[in-house]
Amino acid sequence: MSETKVISGADGVANAAKLCRPKVLPMYPITPSTLIPERLSEFVFNGELKSEMIHVESEHSAASALYGAYAVGVRSFTATASQGLALMHEILPIISASRFPAVLAVANRALSGPLNIWNDHSDAVSERDQGWIQLYCESNQEAFDTTIMAYKIAESEKVLLPVMVCMDGFYLTHAYEPITMEDQTKVDEFLPEYKPLHFLDTFNPKTFGAFAQPNTYMEFKEELEKAMQNALREIIKVNSEFNKKFGRSYGNGLVEGFMLEDADYALVAMGSVCGTIREVVSDLRAKGKKVGLIKLKALRPLPAEDLKILCKDLKSLGVIDRHASIGFGGALTNDIKSALAEEKVHVESFVAGLGGRDVDKKKIVAAFFALENEKEGYWLK
Amino acid sequence: MAVLGIDEKEYFASGHRACAGCGEALALRHILKAAGEKTIVAQATGCMEVVSTPYPETSWEIPWVHCAFENAAAVASGVRAALNAKGDKETNVIAMGGDGASFDIGFGSLSGSIERGTKFLYICTDNEAYMNCLALDSLIMTKEGLKKITEIKVGDEVYAFSQSTHKLVLKKCTGVFDNGIKRVFEINTDSNTIKATGNHPFLILQRNGKSGKNQFVWKMVEELKVGEEVVSLKKGLDGESFKFNEIEESKKGDYKVNKINEVHLPEKSSEMLMKFLGLYVGDGWSRVEKAEVGFALPEGKKGRNEAKQLVENLLWSHCLSESENELHINSINIAKFIDSLGFGKGAKNKIVPGWVFTLPLKEKQAFVEGLMLSDGYKLGKSNRYVSASYELLRTLRLLLQTMDMRVGKIHQQTKERGTLVVKRELLADSTYGYVCFSGRKGALLKYAAQNRQRNYLFGNENFETKKIVSINKLGVEPTLDLRVEGEHNFVANGIVVHNTGIQRSGATFPFANTTTSPAGKVIPGKQQPKKPLPFIIAAHGAKYVATASVMNLFDLHKKVKKALATDGPSFITVFVPCVPGWKIDSSAGMDVARKAFETNVYPLYEIEDGVLTLNQKQDTRKGVEEYLMMQGRFKHVIPEHVKKIQEYVDMRFKFLEENNGKKIFDTLF
Repeated sequence: MSETKVISGADGVANAAKLCRPKVLPMYPITPSTLIPERLSEFVFNGELKSEMIHVESEHSAASALYGAYAVGVRSFTATASQGLALMHEILPIISASRFPAVLAVANRALSGPLNIWNDHSDAVSERDQGWIQLYCESNQEAFDTTIMAYKIAESEKVLLPVMVCMDGFYLTHAYEPITMEDQTKVDEFLPEYKPLHFLDTFNPKTFGAFAQPNTYMEFKEELEKAMQNALREIIKVNSEFNKKFGRSYGNGLVEGFMLEDADYALVAMGSVCGTIREVVSDLRAKGKKVGLIKLKALRPLPAEDLKILCKDLKSLGVIDRHASIGFGGALTNDIKSALAEEKVHVESFVAGLGGRDVDKKKIVAAFFALENEKEGYWLK
Repeated sequence: MAVLGIDEKEYFASGHRACAGCGEALALRHILKAAGEKTIVAQATGCMEVVSTPYPETSWEIPWVHCAFENAAAVASGVRAALNAKGDKETNVIAMGGDGASFDIGFGSLSGSIERGTKFLYICTDNEAYMNCLALDSLIMTKEGLKKITEIKVGDEVYAFSQSTHKLVLKKCTGVFDNGIKRVFEINTDSNTIKATGNHPFLILQRNGKSGKNQFVWKMVEELKVGEEVVSLKKGLDGESFKFNEIEESKKGDYKVNKINEVHLPEKSSEMLMKFLGLYVGDGWSRVEKAEVGFALPEGKKGRNEAKQLVENLLWSHCLSESENELHINSINIAKFIDSLGFGKGAKNKIVPGWVFTLPLKEKQAFVEGLMLSDGYKLGKSNRYVSASYELLRTLRLLLQTMDMRVGKIHQQTKERGTLVVKRELLADSTYGYVCFSGRKGALLKYAAQNRQRNYLFGNENFETKKIVSINKLGVEPTLDLRVEGEHNFVANGIVVHNTGIQRSGATFPFANTTTSPAGKVIPGKQQPKKPLPFIIAAHGAKYVATASVMNLFDLHKKVKKALATDGPSFITVFVPCVPGWKIDSSAGMDVARKAFETNVYPLYEIEDGVLTLNQKQDTRKGVEEYLMMQGRFKHVIPEHVKKIQEYVDMRFKFLEENNGKKIFDTLF
């Protein structure tokens, strides 16, 4: 039976992972993702979840053990944040190139320099080139649901790419919200057992991780690109199937438009800040401003076509960016500008909330007015 | 099927790209035989991983997974966990890595996997360091002339550049080794071409401006830029006339020999003979079965009269017969003689054989004159020689460089089908090459200072500096390298290149010479002891830890089997000699490994359930010097160092002896 409890987002994700029946759990704790391995350890040590937990000595080893487990062909899960994700950096493209459909929960936290444990998107957005699908969540429920959807998307035959489920550190991981946790039977129906075509098997020996010379390397990467294109369709499909099964969906799975119908202006963002922007947009609409929100759920694959459609009639678009690519401004902004390069809409960048600085309604309203008055974008400090 | 207890079946297929004599590949083969087919291997990045899996090929007949450099143990953890989840308790999990992957960068993940009690065997193939090389078609200047690098033998004397006197010296080659197939670069000056791997060092001039002192430094190919100046050979050592080997001459009465022209075959080279041979290379052929040497020299072509004159000078006129388009020398023995000289047969296959490089300058010049008479022509002040044989042009280019000539690069041109060549039409398109060369304009020594701007070694009799005009990335090729005593360099394709190097690891033996711990003037090689990894792992509580060596494969088999039967983590280091790294001959591996055991440098022991067992009983203790002197990486070691090394080896072995049979560590539960 599904039950609704008021729990933290991290707790929710741990429960969602449990429902997906991962057989191997390589875990290393790091704030603010720590509760996830802690909750999963409780499940395993209490016999509620039959899984092999590996208390690895670093995140690099967590990703490596994840790789090893998928090589043998079993569904696995791990979680990390910030420095931990950075330490995994070397292994991430190896996992995606090996077409292992791993799921990694990332509790978005600022990358060090200076050390900071609070939320921004610098950790995950920095990894957007590594061939992983990246899905951002606005609420605890969405994080719970996305974890389950992630496996289905990843394991889809035409995709076979790993997925990062991104949830804002502290804002989601540590905030308590009512989460409807679904029934194991229903989840089993939605997500059948993982049965890979290729795995390490002494009856049918195969070599994983051969080295590729220049004459073959590019084709491997090309295949990833094709798989990402397939992922665009698959994410939409899974979102819709999830809706049918559990009655919840998130836009079309890739993006969601809120109050965009006759909007002249829109603000686009990822993650929990969308919740704040929704309120701002509603308030502004009440005052007669023609503004809307574009919530971007999938950063990779970037749904360029959907964005073009949503921005068709907009005058300008403001990007609330939670990561700056030092030397060229907001990272998300540059991705979106590229996607919309041939569209009429004008794009401005508002870097906000780095290192966990609060992005309150006042700042967002200010961003909107800058947009309306055709001012340049600036850092919302 | 087992032979002496060793499974005959191969799990590591041949065709991998390991060097001839590689200790690691041998160890791998036997580890897999001992483990059997119910085994999964998780491999770290390293030599073995690269040589065994160049996509789309693989040598592994068992399931195998590679991820990165420092995480074989972590990957193995994941593999074991997944097998447990699947209910598979039978399959062996072996993690393998070199000493870099185990002692250094992979130390953390290795420690974690052991600490967690993961049921797996970690094997470190220890060759005591982390390599670089020349492509197989490199031509080396030796005392006996130009030789292919594949023909060089230990003991050959090669040209080297003395870094102190900047003079040409002859140094003994003390090792030749096969480095397998690697990616190569092509480095070109206006007169030299050489192919080398990215990390092969070349001797480069570092100009330090008017105030600084110019100096020669070693730089790796990867770091070279167009415009940098390399040290290049311009003139070889003046040689002597070459004494020919006696050939078996045919006599009247031999099979099918009814009539014979008695001829005098020259015993050594001479200017006349060399000119004749130069002409032969261009326009001649020999057919022993027809007992003739012929020249395609039609009446009126220059060279015909010269050829006749030379034949007369060589006292062979009585064999000569002429026709409108050709000259024939009818003598089976002359034909045989010419064949024995090594010029090759057929227009596309001619070369300048190595011995020509040892001749006195005048004889070389005569040879070149002969060449020019046949297929050469003058273009203003420069000479141009044309040939269909690329190898001939390449070897000629190198010959000209030893004659203090200015030489250009090899150009190609194609003559189309139907073109008239010596009164016959070409039946197909034919590609020819040509090379230009000219005598040097002697710059006056009194302007040395200005000339040093262009050529730093101006005034040097044998060497000059040349600018690199291009560096191209090529494909992968088999590569070789040489070890040269003393100067540690040699002349390949006219350029001074370094013999190979390797980088130090925590496992590198003290005082060993590696590229990052070189045997320098101030610091003589690696100064730290070898990290005692087996003890560290045993201290973690692993129930089975052992050292093994490729020189005792039965022992290795036994240990692998014991380790795999352990309930929990186990660890073995295997001593594997490395041919290029240790600077030994490819056949010397087993001897070096055996000597390491006999001198207690690499003792064999086990730590089972915390109890130490020494696997050897020595009646005589051999001194470490015997081990050190077998390898190039220790050649700089002086008695003072030997003493330190002996103390170090004795101290470590004493610990093993004193604790033999004792429980020295607690084990994991």
